[in-house]
Amino acid sequence: MTMTETSGRPPGIVAQGVRRTFGSVEAVRSVDFHAQPGEITALVGPNGAGKTTLLLVLATLLVPDAGSVSVAGYDPMTEAGEVRRRLGWAPDVFGLYDNLTAREYLEFFADAYRIPRPRGQQRAAELLALAHLPEYADSPVHVLSRGQKQRLGVVRAMVHDPEVLILDEPASGLDPRSRVDLKEMLREYAESGRTVVVSSHILSDLEELADRVVFIDKGLSVGEHVMSALPTSATSRRTWRLRSLDEPALVAALTRNGYSHSEPTAAGIDVDLADDAAAAALIAGLVNDKVPLVSCAPIGGALEAAYLELTEGRS
Amino acid sequence: MSLAGIGVVARQEFRLRIRTGRWRWLLGAWLLVVTGFTGLLYAGLQHTTRTDDGAVMYGGLMLFVLALAALVAPALAAQSVNGDRERGVLAALQVTALGAGDIATGKLVAAWGTSVVFLALTLPDVLWCVAAGGVQLTRLLVTMGVMVLLLGVICAIALALSALLRRTTTSGLLSYLAVFALSIGTLVVFGLVSAATQETRVVHTPVDPNCSIDPGFSPGGCSGTYTESVVRTDRTWWLLAPNPFLILADSAPQTAKQKRGSSTDPLGSMARWVRDQRRGPTSSFTYGSLSSTRNPGAVWPWGLGFDVLLGAGGLWLTTRRLRTPTRKLARGARIA
Ligand SMILES: Nc1ncnc2c1ncn2[C@@H]1O[C@H](COP(=O)(O)OP(=O)(O)OP(=O)(O)O)[C@@H](O)[C@H]1O
Ligand SMILES: [Mg+2]
Repeated sequence: MTMTETSGRPPGIVAQGVRRTFGSVEAVRSVDFHAQPGEITALVGPNGAGKTTLLLVLATLLVPDAGSVSVAGYDPMTEAGEVRRRLGWAPDVFGLYDNLTAREYLEFFADAYRIPRPRGQQRAAELLALAHLPEYADSPVHVLSRGQKQRLGVVRAMVHDPEVLILDEPASGLDPRSRVDLKEMLREYAESGRTVVVSSHILSDLEELADRVVFIDKGLSVGEHVMSALPTSATSRRTWRLRSLDEPALVAALTRNGYSHSEPTAAGIDVDLADDAAAAALIAGLVNDKVPLVSCAPIGGALEAAYLELTEGRS
Repeated sequence: MSLAGIGVVARQEFRLRIRTGRWRWLLGAWLLVVTGFTGLLYAGLQHTTRTDDGAVMYGGLMLFVLALAALVAPALAAQSVNGDRERGVLAALQVTALGAGDIATGKLVAAWGTSVVFLALTLPDVLWCVAAGGVQLTRLLVTMGVMVLLLGVICAIALALSALLRRTTTSGLLSYLAVFALSIGTLVVFGLVSAATQETRVVHTPVDPNCSIDPGFSPGGCSGTYTESVVRTDRTWWLLAPNPFLILADSAPQTAKQKRGSSTDPLGSMARWVRDQRRGPTSSFTYGSLSSTRNPGAVWPWGLGFDVLLGAGGLWLTTRRLRTPTRKLARGARIA
């Protein structure tokens, strides 16, 4: 399938002022969300922030109470069919038909997307390879492990080679190897000019995966960061973790030099430092004091720092 | 909605059903029970000397098969929508190129088709009845056709309940209640409403030419008036119409002999009874001139029409509930 150039229609996802309530629960109050082709956009927020609800609106499943939405240039509300042809969506929790084999499962969805049989079979084989499951092609889906099921569900959303791919927590339940594979797969998919949206809590993964991050909290979009522009430890305050062969000596040296530090743990001692220069000064001082220092590194990534800063005010 | 889309859904449903494995046992048990019943009927009729044993057997068998099918059909459809929702496989399907109509109709076709497979398994026993004599081809074709339609109606009602209700146990239970309401409920309501609408009427008795009562002894003499209470079933017969068993009985074409009422065929007796209800009370003083000669009208076209509309409504409702994007969700339901 080739990308259809939609002249005059905005590619990717444009959502403005989206609102959706369930009775008295305001799941999504007002969210602005954009995702561009060629990029991986991450939707990040605490539990119950409204991520899944927003994605359901984008995926033509829920009518928003207010706001305007365009997915691949079409309105999910009034032009759901057009959107569906161009959209792949994998929910956060999903079932597989237990009595089907992995191959049959993918071929069934190829049928459901009206992909001609031979092409559908070929596509199913491609996707099984992509999910690293070819050896399970003919085993019933219910024998797959949780992570394998997750991978199958993710590639299922790509059956019709959609222009926009929306994945709700695709990395949950995946081992480190599978996560790296998922990252590579999504990266490649985005680089072919498609729009990829993922929601996740696993910030360390998103750090390497996402090009842009949209934070939402309590149904509001509260921030948007281009990953490459996030403040790093070079210029911004960060917590650093120190480890030494002689812990009492380290504590004594820190106290002597007026650094406020955390209680020592097996992992080390944490110190808040203004920037990389301050860290360099601290290390030089400790070495000078003959403290046998083993390591000194900022903990958490830039994204985690931004996320924690955002959610700090929560009770 | 398209034929191809319906086909995709129906084929998938069939495949999943067959794979669950218990089917061979269920179909086997069905065959055994139905054949056992036919055998008993046959044995029971051996001691009578009638020419239409086959018709009697066939009538009994059809009523029995309808009763059994009414137990099986709801189970085939009553969990098809909310079961998929529970298993988390519905939403992914709803965002494909398949429309709500494709999904709803495909599921109905699968459930209906399965119940027709059950019906087809009774064919050997039906042939046995035919061999016993007295079953004409039109009767066979019409009852089978009506039976297939009735099974579709039951499946469609169960399907709608599965789309409307969140829990599979509730929809299963209510499907059985719906079948119960149609087959027993109609009779009960008919009986109660008819009794409540009883009326008394004054009957003028004609003069009996052979009268020999002394006018001084009996005030009315040989002609007179008296009152009797009658049940105006001609006003309430429609309450019986949706009953699937009566529809099956009333729609079965009858031979001249069966029409005269000289047959003990159960379908014929039920048909005569329900048509009598439609005609309503006749005078107790009929000297061969009153309404009893009027040919009572058929009840089944009304009943079958109503039931088919009910089924169509069920399919329409299911389609509506499957249409996305959704504005309203059932309380406590999540899409994904
Ligand atoms: N169908 C529904 N009916 C009632 N309330 C709902 C429904 N769906 C979501 N909610 C509520 O809306 C809020 C947002 O839910 P949502 O599933 O969008 O959160 P989320 O950001 O995806 O959370 P998580 O990270 O835990 O997946 C929650 O408070 C939830 O209870
Ligand atoms: Mg969620």
